[in-house]
Amino acid sequence: MIILGRILLLWRARLGWLLAGLIVALASLAVGLGLMAASGLVFAGGVVLVAPWLSGLGVARVALRYVERLVTHGAMFRALADLRVWFFRGLARGGAGGLGLRQAGDVLARLVGDVEALDGLYLRVLLPLALALILLPALVVVIGAGNILLSLIIGVLFLTAVVILPWCAARSCLAAGRNLAAAAGALRIAALDALTGRREVRAFGAEGRMLALVQGREEGLLTAQRALARRTAWASAGAFLCAQAALLALLLAAHLSAVIVIPVVLLTLAAFEAVSGLPRAGALAGHAAAAAQRVLEAAEVPPPVPDPAQPGTMPKGFALRFASVQFSWQADRLPVFSGLSLDVAEGARVALLGPSGVGKSTLAALAMKLAAPQLGHITLGGVDLATLPADAVRSRIAWLSQATHLFDASIRDNLLLARPGADDPALWAALEAARIAELIRTLPDGLETWVGEGGARFSGGQGRRLALARALLSQAPVLILDEPCAGLDAETEREFFLTLNDAVSGRTLILIAHRLSGVERLDRIFRLSAGHAVAAAG
Amino acid sequence: MAARPVVLWGLLGAALALGQAGCMALVLDAALAPGGIGSLWPLGGFAALAVMRTLAAVAADHAAFAAGATGRRRLRSEAMARLLHAAPQALRDVHTGELITIVIDRIEALDGLFARWLPASVLAVAGPVLVLAVVAWVDPVAALVLVAAGCAVPLGMVVAGIGAGAAARSQFHAMARLQARFLDRVRGIATIVAHGAAEREAVALGSAADELRWRTMRVLRVAFLSGSCLDVAMVAAIVILAVRYGAAWSAGALAVGPALFVLLAVSEFFAPLRAFALAYQDRLHATAAADALASLPEDPPAPPAREVRSVSAQGVSVVFDNVSLTWDAARGKALDGLSFRVPSGETLVLAGPSGAGKSSVLEILLGFARPDAGRVTINGADIADLVPASLSRLTAWVGQRPVLFAGTIRDNILFARPEASDDEIARAARAARMEEFAADLPLGLETLVGEGGYGLSGGQAQRVAVARAFLKDAPLLLLDEPTAHLDPATEADLLDSLRRLLAGRTVILASHAAAAHLFSGRRLDLRNGRTDVERGVA
Repeated sequence: MIILGRILLLWRARLGWLLAGLIVALASLAVGLGLMAASGLVFAGGVVLVAPWLSGLGVARVALRYVERLVTHGAMFRALADLRVWFFRGLARGGAGGLGLRQAGDVLARLVGDVEALDGLYLRVLLPLALALILLPALVVVIGAGNILLSLIIGVLFLTAVVILPWCAARSCLAAGRNLAAAAGALRIAALDALTGRREVRAFGAEGRMLALVQGREEGLLTAQRALARRTAWASAGAFLCAQAALLALLLAAHLSAVIVIPVVLLTLAAFEAVSGLPRAGALAGHAAAAAQRVLEAAEVPPPVPDPAQPGTMPKGFALRFASVQFSWQADRLPVFSGLSLDVAEGARVALLGPSGVGKSTLAALAMKLAAPQLGHITLGGVDLATLPADAVRSRIAWLSQATHLFDASIRDNLLLARPGADDPALWAALEAARIAELIRTLPDGLETWVGEGGARFSGGQGRRLALARALLSQAPVLILDEPCAGLDAETEREFFLTLNDAVSGRTLILIAHRLSGVERLDRIFRLSAGHAVAAAG
Repeated sequence: MAARPVVLWGLLGAALALGQAGCMALVLDAALAPGGIGSLWPLGGFAALAVMRTLAAVAADHAAFAAGATGRRRLRSEAMARLLHAAPQALRDVHTGELITIVIDRIEALDGLFARWLPASVLAVAGPVLVLAVVAWVDPVAALVLVAAGCAVPLGMVVAGIGAGAAARSQFHAMARLQARFLDRVRGIATIVAHGAAEREAVALGSAADELRWRTMRVLRVAFLSGSCLDVAMVAAIVILAVRYGAAWSAGALAVGPALFVLLAVSEFFAPLRAFALAYQDRLHATAAADALASLPEDPPAPPAREVRSVSAQGVSVVFDNVSLTWDAARGKALDGLSFRVPSGETLVLAGPSGAGKSSVLEILLGFARPDAGRVTINGADIADLVPASLSRLTAWVGQRPVLFAGTIRDNILFARPEASDDEIARAARAARMEEFAADLPLGLETLVGEGGYGLSGGQAQRVAVARAFLKDAPLLLLDEPTAHLDPATEADLLDSLRRLLAGRTVILASHAAAAHLFSGRRLDLRNGRTDVERGVA
C-alpha cells in the first residue's frame, strides 16, 4: 500500500484539480443526502416548509452530479498523463542501452496496462474513501441526536463497510492483483511475439500452436481475474450486509420505542448506498498496488552511467582519446578491451576494422557514455568523459548504430530527431549524401511519406540509408558510423562513400566496418583484435 | 445466451428488495400508529430477505464474470486466428502496436458488453416493470408518476447517445494511436537517447496524452448527460411523490405504510436504469471495438484442399509460368511475366539489385502473395490450390533477419518442428554450427533470448534460423539473402552450414549480385521483375 503513496507523490502538481474534484463530490453527496432526509420530513408534516426546499435540493443535486463527474474525470486524466510522461522519462534514463532482455511487449504492458490500472486509484479509491470518512462523523452526530447507542452501532457498521472490509479486500487482493498483472503481461508478450513473427509463424505453419499459446495465456488471465472477481463480490456482500444490519437496528429501535425515525432511515439508506462501492475499491487498490510496483520498477532502473555530481565544463575541442581502457559488459564475461588506446584527432577520418564480436560497437557505446570503462580513461577535447554529463557528450557525438530505430512517423519527423528545426534544404542535403534523395523525390508524398513500423514501408537497404541521412543531418562534430552500408549493394556503397568524402568535411569521422570498399578517403585505419587497436595503415 | 443467468439473479434481487421495502414500511407504519406495537414477523422477514438478497447479488456477480469470460474467449480466438492467417502484406501498413491494442485491450473492453451491457439492457426493462406492477397495486397514481419519469430516461439517453457514439469512435482511434506511439518510442528508446531527444519526446508524449484526455472528455461530456437524465427523472419522481404524500399528511388522509413503501421502491425502480446508464459506456466502447475487429483482414477463402502428390523423399519441382505481381499500383509491377523452372533437387540463385523482384518470388512461394497473372506450380499442382498447411509442410525458409521469440534458444529451434526429439534438436544445432557460440552462453541452448533476439549477434540469430531449417528438413528451401547483414568472416562461416543445408533439396535463393557467386547452382538475373536479358539465364 505504501507503494500507492509514492504514486500519489507524483501527482503533487495536480493537487488543485484533485482537491477540486473532492470538494465538488462532497457538495454533491451532501445535497443528495439532504434530499433523501428532507423527503422523509414530509411525514413530520413539514410539507409547506419543505416543498420549495425539495425542488431546490433536487435541481442542485442534478447539476452538482454532472459537474462532479466532469471535474473528477478531468482531474484523473491529467494525473494519468503526468504518470505516462514520468514513466517515459524514467525509461529514457535507464533504458539508454536498449531494452535488452526487458522485452518491449512487457514494457508496453507496464506502460499502458499498469498505468491504466492506476486510473481507478483516484476516482474509485481515494475519492469515495475520503467522502466516507467525512460522512462517518456527520452520520454519527445526526443519529446521535436522537439515540446515542443507535448512532454508535450504526457508526461501527459504517466503519466496517467503508474501512475494515475494503482493507481486508485490498489485503487479500494484493497477491491476486500481482498474479493478474503478471498474467496480463504474459498474454501481451505472447500476442506480440506471435504477431511480430507472423512471417515465421506462417512459413512454419505454426498458426495453430501460436493460437494455442495465446489461448493458454488468456486462460491464465481469466483465472486471475476470476479469483479477483470472487473476492470482490464477497467483500461487497459483506458491506451490503452491514448496511442491512444498520437498517435492521433502526427498525428494531422504531419497533421498540416508536420514535419517529423515517428521515433517519432514509438518510442511513442513502449514506450506505453512497459508499457501497468501497469494498470493490479496496480490491481495486490491491490490483493498483501491484501495477504501481511494476510501473515504479520499470521507471526507476538506474542510468547505465550516472552523471557526475559536479559536471566539468564542456571542452571546445573534440579530439577523442581512449587511454588504456579496460572494459567488460559483465563481471563474469571476458573483457572486450584490455588496455585499448586510440587517438582520434579533431577532424580525423578513421576506420576501425575487425570481425564481428571484437568490440567495435562497444567502442561506440563507451564514447556515447552508454557504458563506462572499468579502468583507464576516455577523453573528449582533453576532458575525461566521466566528468561530463551524458547529454552534453551525446550532443557532440552522432552515432549511427547497427540497431538504429526508424520511427513510425514521416521521413521528415524521423530526420528531425537528429536536428530539430532543420530546414528543407538541410534535409535534402542529408538525403542526397545518403543516396536516397532520388527515391524520395519520386514518392508522391516526398518528405511526408510515412516510414512505417521500424521502416517497414522501405526495403532494408533504403531504411539503412534513411538512418544514415539522419546521422549525417546531426550537427555533432564527431560522427560514428557503425556499418553504415550493411544491406546496401556494392554500387550504392561506393557511391555513398564518394559522397561521404565531401559531406563531412571538418568533422571527425569514425567508420566502423568489417571491410573497406576502397574509395573511402581515410587518415588512419585501425584493426581491432584481442581487445587492442593496432594501426593498420596511414 | 450467456447473459440469461445474470438477468435471472438480477430480477430475483429486485423482487427481494421489494419484499424488504414492504417489511420496512410495515414496521415503520406500526411504529407510527398511535399506541400500536406491531408484530415481530416483518423484522424477521427483513433480515431473512437481506441474507437472500446478498446471496443473489454474489450469484449475479459470478454469472456476469462467466458471461464476460465466455464472450472474450470466443472473440479473442477469432481475432487472433484471423491475424495469424492473414497474408503479412495485408497488415504491412498496420503497426503491430495497433493490432495488440485490438487483440488485448479492445477485447478486454468488450467484457463490459457481455458482463454488463447485455444483462443490463434486459434488466432495464424487466426490473422497472416488476417494481411498477407492485407499486400500481399499492398506489396507482404513484405508478403513473414512475411511468412518466421512467419514459424520460431512454428518451434522454437516445439524445445523448447519438453524439456520444461518434465521439467514442474518435476516442478509440486516439487511444490506439497513443498506444502505438508508446510501443514505437519504447522500442526506439536507445535511438532517442543517443540523439539526446528524450526530453523532446517526453514533451511530445505529454501533448499526445493531453490530446487523448481532451478527446475522452469530449465523449464523457455527452455521455454524462445521459446520467443526468436519470438524475433528473429520479429526483423529480421523489420530489413529486414526497410533495403529494406531504399534502395528504396535512389533510390527515395519508396511509403511511403504502406511502413509505412507494418512496422506498423508487430507488429500486431506478437502480436497473442506473446500471443500464453505466453500462451504456460499455456499449459505446464495444461499438468502437467492434469496428476495429471488423477492420481486420477477412479469412482468405479456403482453397479446395488438394495435397501435393509427392512426399518429401521424392523432392519438389517448382515452375513459374509467365507470372506477374503488383503490390502497389503506384510503384509498378514487382514481377512482369517471369518464367523459370527448378527441377527437383536443384538450386536456383535469383540475383539482381534491390527491387528487382527477388523477394516477390519468395513471397509467392511462401503463400504470402498470389500472382495477378500466370501460374506457379509445385510438382505440377497450382500453388493457388494448395491449402496453406500443406504448402508450409513442404517449405523451409531462412530470411534476412529472423524473428526470435521470447524463450530459450532451444525453444526457438524447436519452433520449426515442436514434436522433434532432443537428439534431432542437438543434430540440427550441430549442423548449423551453433555449439561454438552456445558453449560461451551462460546456459547454452537454454539461454533466454529477448524479443528481437537480444544477446545474439546477427550471425548467431541467423544460425538459429538455419538450425530451424535443418530441423524442419523440408524438401523445398527458400532463402532470402541469408548473409546480407553479416561481416565476411561470419558470412563465410555461415555459408559452410548453408551449403550443407542446400544439399539434396530444391532451393530458391535470393541474393545481391555481388554475393550470388557464393552459391553454386543455376543463376537467374532479375531486373524490374523480368529475366535480365543482358545477362540471361546462365
